[in-house]
Amino acid sequence: MNLAALMDCLTSASCLVTQTTSGLIIGMLLFLVAAGLTLIFGVLKVVNFTHGSFYMLGAYLAYTVNGLTDSYVLAVLAAATGVGIFALIFERFFMSKVYGSNVLMQLLVCYAFILILDDAVKIIWGPEFKSMGMATAFQKPPLFIAGGIVPVFYLFLIIVTLVISAALYLVITRTRFGTVVRAAAVNPSMVSALGINTGLVYSGVFVLGGMLAGLAGGLAAPVRSLTAGMGFSILIESFIVTVIGGMGSIAGALLGSVLIGLVRSFGSIGFPLFVEGLMFLLMAVILILKPSGLLGKEG
Amino acid sequence: MLSTRPNLARDISIAAVALIVLLLLPYVWPSRMMNDLVIRVSAFALFATSLNLLVGYTGMVSFGHGMFFGFGAYAFGLSMQRLGVSIPTAILITIVSSALLGLVVGAISIRLKDIYFSFITLAFQMLLYSTVIAWVPLTGGDQGLMGGIPRPPFLGIDLSIESHRYAFAVTIMVVGLLILRQIVESPFGYTLRMIRDNTERATFLGINVFRAKLTAFVIAGVFGSLGGMVMALFVSGAYPEFVNWTMSGEGIFMIMLGGLSTFIGPAAGALILSLLNDVITRGTEHHGLFLGAVILLFALGLRKGVTDFIADWFRTRREASTRSGN
Amino acid sequence: MARKRAELDRRTVLKGAAAGAAATIFAPNIVAAQNKVVRIGMPTILSGRVAQLGTSSRNAVIMEVEKINAAGGLAGRQIEMVIRDSKGQPQEAARVSRELVNSDGCEILLDAEASSGSFAVQEVAKDLGVLVMHTNSETSSLTADPKIRIPLAFRSCRQGIHDAVVSGAYAAEIAKAKKINRWGTCSPDYAYGRDNTQLFVEYLKHFYPQAEVTTEAWPKLFQPDYTEVITRVLQNKPQALYSALWGGDLTSWVDQASIYALFSQMEVFAINMADYTVLTAVKNLPKGIHSATRYIKTYPATKQNAAWGDEYRARFKEYPTNWSWENWVGIHFIAEAAKKANSADGKKIAEAMRGLKIDCPFGADGTVTMRADDQTVIGYAIGWGPTISQEPYVPEVKGASWDTILQLEAEWKKRNNYT
Repeated sequence: MNLAALMDCLTSASCLVTQTTSGLIIGMLLFLVAAGLTLIFGVLKVVNFTHGSFYMLGAYLAYTVNGLTDSYVLAVLAAATGVGIFALIFERFFMSKVYGSNVLMQLLVCYAFILILDDAVKIIWGPEFKSMGMATAFQKPPLFIAGGIVPVFYLFLIIVTLVISAALYLVITRTRFGTVVRAAAVNPSMVSALGINTGLVYSGVFVLGGMLAGLAGGLAAPVRSLTAGMGFSILIESFIVTVIGGMGSIAGALLGSVLIGLVRSFGSIGFPLFVEGLMFLLMAVILILKPSGLLGKEG
Repeated sequence: MLSTRPNLARDISIAAVALIVLLLLPYVWPSRMMNDLVIRVSAFALFATSLNLLVGYTGMVSFGHGMFFGFGAYAFGLSMQRLGVSIPTAILITIVSSALLGLVVGAISIRLKDIYFSFITLAFQMLLYSTVIAWVPLTGGDQGLMGGIPRPPFLGIDLSIESHRYAFAVTIMVVGLLILRQIVESPFGYTLRMIRDNTERATFLGINVFRAKLTAFVIAGVFGSLGGMVMALFVSGAYPEFVNWTMSGEGIFMIMLGGLSTFIGPAAGALILSLLNDVITRGTEHHGLFLGAVILLFALGLRKGVTDFIADWFRTRREASTRSGN
Repeated sequence: MARKRAELDRRTVLKGAAAGAAATIFAPNIVAAQNKVVRIGMPTILSGRVAQLGTSSRNAVIMEVEKINAAGGLAGRQIEMVIRDSKGQPQEAARVSRELVNSDGCEILLDAEASSGSFAVQEVAKDLGVLVMHTNSETSSLTADPKIRIPLAFRSCRQGIHDAVVSGAYAAEIAKAKKINRWGTCSPDYAYGRDNTQLFVEYLKHFYPQAEVTTEAWPKLFQPDYTEVITRVLQNKPQALYSALWGGDLTSWVDQASIYALFSQMEVFAINMADYTVLTAVKNLPKGIHSATRYIKTYPATKQNAAWGDEYRARFKEYPTNWSWENWVGIHFIAEAAKKANSADGKKIAEAMRGLKIDCPFGADGTVTMRADDQTVIGYAIGWGPTISQEPYVPEVKGASWDTILQLEAEWKKRNNYT
């Protein structure tokens, strides 16, 4: 524990700027994964534990497409599309079969896919770790803002994430699909009584969630080494984020992501050896005080 | 109260027969591999059956039961390594400390409903995991408790001898399961079932639901930690993996595989999963692919535990015979 | 009706499969009959994030066992390797090791586990009384601490304390020349990372007392995002940074630190950089990161070493790793000791191995020695140098002095009450 260092940082402008931005950066990529997780839970009431594997799949697809085309943009698009398609198959042929059963069956199906995908990645791409490399457009010196350091690539990531969040917000609030999704989250039988095919809605939500996770994997691929099992730490963190923010609430996921980002960046100064524990502590405390999460609906 | 139960004598005789069979097994079929398997399955059987007291009988889906397994392993290992006490004392320390842990974690977690209860138990488990990893001077961090757990002889039992260790493990398992069986068949056990099926009705009947759930949580924790203790004796150490979420995941898989609706189901699941793991690991390094496929087959195809099938089969046969009797 | 029959069939099939599996597992130990083959069990990590540890260890062992068998095996008995995945879990390492000995009839264990697994295998070896060669665990206490050491356990890989002395001496020399007094560290928060870094700092100060550590960052093992630890280091502005990150974590960290332009702001000493797995994975390697040699076919610059690296690469279509050569050493020590003892018996091999010196492509002087008093290998090649992004990756290696290493190691042992 090093509270003195934490106090020093909190009173120094440059440290405050750098650690806050680094917290935002950590939070933004987490949000993309967590948003899909929380969306799926909100509508289907399923905790999709394969979400981290979706993220991994996105990163590997991006790696391959980037190698073939040498285009980061194409790589990211391929990651989102590819994982979207995979999510559709996963939902239609496997997950939808256990919607009616108890939560433990759903857990098992997810667990099976985590195991299978980790091995599949190892068979297809090999057991050694991979690094995709940074697109030349981003190989620039970092910017200095108010004494804090901000890399150009991360600035790009923050902007992209904000654009996607805005688009997601518009889709949920302004489109017919969004209306149906919101209705299905509150009362699925009502939706099907109106003649809307709930199965289709569920698939759509799963595909959207999968695409977000694939997108996050593709976006992050230039700065993260790819290995089988890389989805796991992402899963745990985005799970904490969604619980803190409120399962089912996208705004909550955004808040939770930023909160966890800040806990990491400032925690690493104050409690360098217990950052992980700090996150679980935060999760436990919030669950005790408000089980439905910061922005979740009581229910 | 127990003596009023007609099935008590039957349970005790089944347990006695099981114990005798297991104790004779090494003489009938001498195989050190078999001994190893039985010891490991004993540990997991206690773990899974105690988890089922929560999941199956009370309807409390804990995602964090591995916390007790790991805690038991560490509490026992540390008592032996650091305090230099005798084995019975270490067992007592393990039981009392895990009961306290269950009391604290349970008192906080039980207030949450449904999936939120699952989440908070997982959070507590991971908190314990992070602590084990970070508190290096005490726990050895990621290396686990190194250098072996001392096994001084007591009451003529020397656990450094393989046959004694085997007998000790199966005895703890059989006695443990017998006690758990008495608990679920007692009026208290039926209270738990009522809470599972209809909490409002239980409250209406004047049952203190909170106290009943907490009692179940503490009991499950104690027996889960005994499972961890048996495992620590087997590997002569304790490792952070025991406290990790994967342990809870395996426990859940065991009870699903074996069946939640019979008492012996989780223990059967422990045996099946251990065998499955051993066979797959021998045959391939792509164990994830194979284990995953088996789980899918089970979850999408069978949809019921193995003992559920057997129970169903007996039930249909009995019904058929009563019908033909008419 | 039809449904019922199908179910019955499935059940019979399942039962048959289970019986078959049980028969293979619990077969009595007569499989390993005398005189024919000698089985060596190898528990290692073949799945998960560090599967490469196991696969590159296994490759080297397979390649060398073929040669040893062609030359007569262990005292006339052909070696048969039984290699099994522990998934990187210590309790599985313990279980698999017991299974290898108890059920597969392995008479020797070649333990290619990471450090926590190696302690678990050590307990099994103690319990079952078999010869064990630890080939990958660098944790010093495994053989240095007399409370943990056992007569039948040996180690054929580098050891933390040796690494630290060499690293400290090299870093101190550069610090002296460039007046680098402010140091930072950034290492993974687990036993290896902590011990390695703490010992490095100790020997850096030993050789260059003006050095002081002004910041420490401790990311978790396998952490995906290093942003907060990078900015933490940048805040502090040390003149040099030491890191014990390795493998995929190191490449992630290098990629992420690059976009913060960290490498232009300080000298970086990353002990595990000069391993082909990392060097070939990083796409935009910043120039001049200092690293210790892990496995590099140009150091030691001998024909034997280059030839072995090429042979491995030609056969497995990838470069060997640090773990590959360590397993070479392990299996060859067993073979040479068996030759000297003229026996494949574990206890006799152990007796012959103590103090044995063998020819080795990875030896500092062409040989390595199994030191008798603590049964760990010494004399392997080790050096430091700046890395570049293409062959030969570490153009100028400054070799270490084993006299210095051994002298400081002896003092370290005394300080820790190991002797």
